[in-house]
Amino acid sequence: MELLIVTLALGLISFIIPRNNIKLFGLMGSLVSAGVAIFHLLNFDSTAPLTTLYENHTLPFGMTFHIGYDGLGLLMIMLTNLIIPIILLSNYNNSKTSESSLFHALVFLMQFGLLGVFSAEDGILFYIFWEFTLIPIFLILYWFGNGTNKILLKFFIYTLIGSLGMLLSFIALRTHATSFDYVDLVAAKLPAKKACWIMSGIMLAFAIKIPVFPFHTWQPDTYTSAPMSATMLLSALMLKMALFGMIKWMLPLAPEGIADLKWLVLILSVVGLLYAAVMCIRMNDIKRLFAYASISHLGLIAAGIMIFTKDALVGASVQIVNHSIIAVGLFLIAEILESRLNTRNMSEMQGTATLAPKFGFWFAVIAFASVSIPFTAGFIGEFTLLKELTDFNPWIGILSSTTLVFGAVYTLRAYQLSMFGAPKNEIFEDLRWNEIAVFFILSIAVVVFGLFPHLISDLVGPSLDRILAIFNAPTSL
Amino acid sequence: MEAIIILFLTGIIALFLGIFKQPKLTTVSSILGLVAAGIVQYFPLDILSDKYNILEFGDAGNAFVILALMITALIILSGDKGFQEDKSHVGDYHALLLFSLSGGIILIGFKDIFMFFLGLEILSIPLYVLAGAKRQSKESSEAAVKYFFMGAFATCILLFGVALIYGSTQSFELEKILEFTAENPVGPIFYVGLLFILASFLFKVGAAPFHFWVPDVYQGSPTVFMGYMSSVVKLVGVFAFVKFFRIAFDNVHEFWTILIAVLIAISMFIGNLSALVQTKFKRLLAYSSITNGSYALMSILYQGSVQDSSLWIFMVGYGMSVVALITISTIVNDERDEISSLKGIGYKNPLIGLVAIVALLSTSGIPPFTGFFGKLMIFSAVWVNYPWLIILALINSAIGVYIYLRLIMTILSKENSETTSKLSITILQQGVLISCLVILTFGWVFLAGWK
Repeated sequence: MELLIVTLALGLISFIIPRNNIKLFGLMGSLVSAGVAIFHLLNFDSTAPLTTLYENHTLPFGMTFHIGYDGLGLLMIMLTNLIIPIILLSNYNNSKTSESSLFHALVFLMQFGLLGVFSAEDGILFYIFWEFTLIPIFLILYWFGNGTNKILLKFFIYTLIGSLGMLLSFIALRTHATSFDYVDLVAAKLPAKKACWIMSGIMLAFAIKIPVFPFHTWQPDTYTSAPMSATMLLSALMLKMALFGMIKWMLPLAPEGIADLKWLVLILSVVGLLYAAVMCIRMNDIKRLFAYASISHLGLIAAGIMIFTKDALVGASVQIVNHSIIAVGLFLIAEILESRLNTRNMSEMQGTATLAPKFGFWFAVIAFASVSIPFTAGFIGEFTLLKELTDFNPWIGILSSTTLVFGAVYTLRAYQLSMFGAPKNEIFEDLRWNEIAVFFILSIAVVVFGLFPHLISDLVGPSLDRILAIFNAPTSL
Repeated sequence: MEAIIILFLTGIIALFLGIFKQPKLTTVSSILGLVAAGIVQYFPLDILSDKYNILEFGDAGNAFVILALMITALIILSGDKGFQEDKSHVGDYHALLLFSLSGGIILIGFKDIFMFFLGLEILSIPLYVLAGAKRQSKESSEAAVKYFFMGAFATCILLFGVALIYGSTQSFELEKILEFTAENPVGPIFYVGLLFILASFLFKVGAAPFHFWVPDVYQGSPTVFMGYMSSVVKLVGVFAFVKFFRIAFDNVHEFWTILIAVLIAISMFIGNLSALVQTKFKRLLAYSSITNGSYALMSILYQGSVQDSSLWIFMVGYGMSVVALITISTIVNDERDEISSLKGIGYKNPLIGLVAIVALLSTSGIPPFTGFFGKLMIFSAVWVNYPWLIILALINSAIGVYIYLRLIMTILSKENSETTSKLSITILQQGVLISCLVILTFGWVFLAGWK
């Protein structure tokens, strides 16, 4: 319980911390919450089906207040609580946001919502936290971003419509279950047709959030107009809610419907990942490029989750962690380039490496991590996912594998355009201490998870086994 | 019963205090009267109730009465600044509000059509006067006249319907009508009477196709009384509607539920689509009240233990949002009532900004605010019989979010308009805003408390 209360308290206290102390307070506070999460990790018993944090079943109307986590939930909680300090650290010198109490309060409220999503054990509670995360991120985008009202409305309404689909599914599911508790919802038996509708409703919410092609149109605009830290929050953490939700909520809740939706989601994901990758190759706006790259990477994860085998899910978990790390790195790079050159256009950035060798080095490290060379976590994750996809259907496998090639093309092209060649600009301030620290932590993490992927798979393995056990998937179509 | 008498006496005291030009004392006595009425309602004295047995509240009724009292108290506090400035009429305003509220309480507790009619008229007649309280303004006079004529017509239709019902069932008591329809077949006259009563109810709660008066009357009326109309009157109106139809006409519910479901769907769209294009704040609230009234009216479509609780929680969320929004509107105090005059008010005054965000998000049904729980409970209860209506309602929720989100963006904007640069906010208004904030944020606590 303290897991959630600490962040909520941090969020509320941040409102009243004066401007000149807020930077340090934010960083320290996020480290405290990270410490709490590590404490939970150390005491975690992976054999227990669920570590309950708080339970109250006396609410009327089938609602319950039930929060807890299994291995998968704990992985996401750890991810959230460790990424938030990194985001705040990389934002440390960005005076517009880092010296605002409001901004830190909203980040902590966002963290509170995310932790709630990852630890909710009740359908309505999940929905409440899911929607709650939208409010702080919207306010961050509104106050600290430079997006027009139109972009913001599109983002909010788009994601909200998806969420309403999920709410409708929960309401419909409730008529077959005794309460909204996760266990009861999973136990509900549904006729196949209804299950298909319920699953589509839930999938709509996740497909918009991930985003799966053709629901992705809100994403590039929102990412490019958002301040760096909000982009990081969105892509490193908020989109992961949807992938987590697919594994934990969508498939176990209405397993009868998967036969009808499997191919649809698979094909959309693969189309999306190819489409986004092709878009990336021609893109000159560096932040937009990374936004599309994010669609491409997440499409692969979504496709892998839909196959729903143990290996695919483990691969997806590794890739979820990896993508969060990479996303923070890439968007930090985009921000460094944008803030120092006042442009996002890569053709105007030539030769930065000669001016800022340290930056050139760390950009290369993150770029290589992003194209999943061996010994990085991305290699393990993508390789497992592609293997499972190929086992499932060779065509899908072959098509998805092109993402590796495309990924290398657009990432290295971005590197080449911005870093090599004769310098176009006179001065380029090299990395500051906090930026070096962020890149250092990220690269260490990528390599550690690349060499020891069992750190992740041991944590999520038992809970994935349990999900697969309740899930009685038809093996052939 | 005692609560009604206390309210009525407080109203008379307010009139006398008005004569002696004691505006501050009037406010204090009205608030004390409302609090006393609430206490008496919750811990009954049993001096009068047993003897006459004309009103019956029960737990649900008590909860609704207390909610109505609370909203009225908050509205009086938020409008207090405006009342004080108008020294010669402050007593009248208080007295009329309290008289109207005592009618509202009768409308919650009625057991037969006599008391129902009494309550309805006691509720309405002071409102006709209050709608025209801004005598210099043409719009206000128009609102009063329009409201009065429309209300009078609706009453005529109601009486005609009541006569037909009495003619075919020989009773004014709701329970006896129910018994009669269970044992005897009813003829077409009964159904015509039912339709007439339905029409007048739809008129009173402002649902399609009898919603035309709502925007004009709401826009013309002084802001505070408009807040009272769209919260308390809507609350007791919908509650009486549900109670009347679910008791008296329950045996023929196949006849009217589908009709009401269709009308609800139409009202939602009318309210929301019209609100999309409004530039006046109060007019926007008026259309939004048509939509929200139709959400509330959905509670007539099902029966059982959740009926009262879901409506109650919905009304807590909606009523508090209305109180918060009209308080903000009174603080801005813009004669033209343009939405653009709210620009930047939230950034300038964080309290207003926070309350506006919470109130608007709660009305649009975004968790974790109280409005969400009300909507959730109503929608999931209606889902069993009318899934199509819920799908339409969720589409409307999305439109609603668009409307309210634009409003939020205006309020939170970093740029200022002329009106927001000279804001003055009284301690009472701050108190009202804070209580709205607390109730809207911690609404889920009520869930646990409701038996």
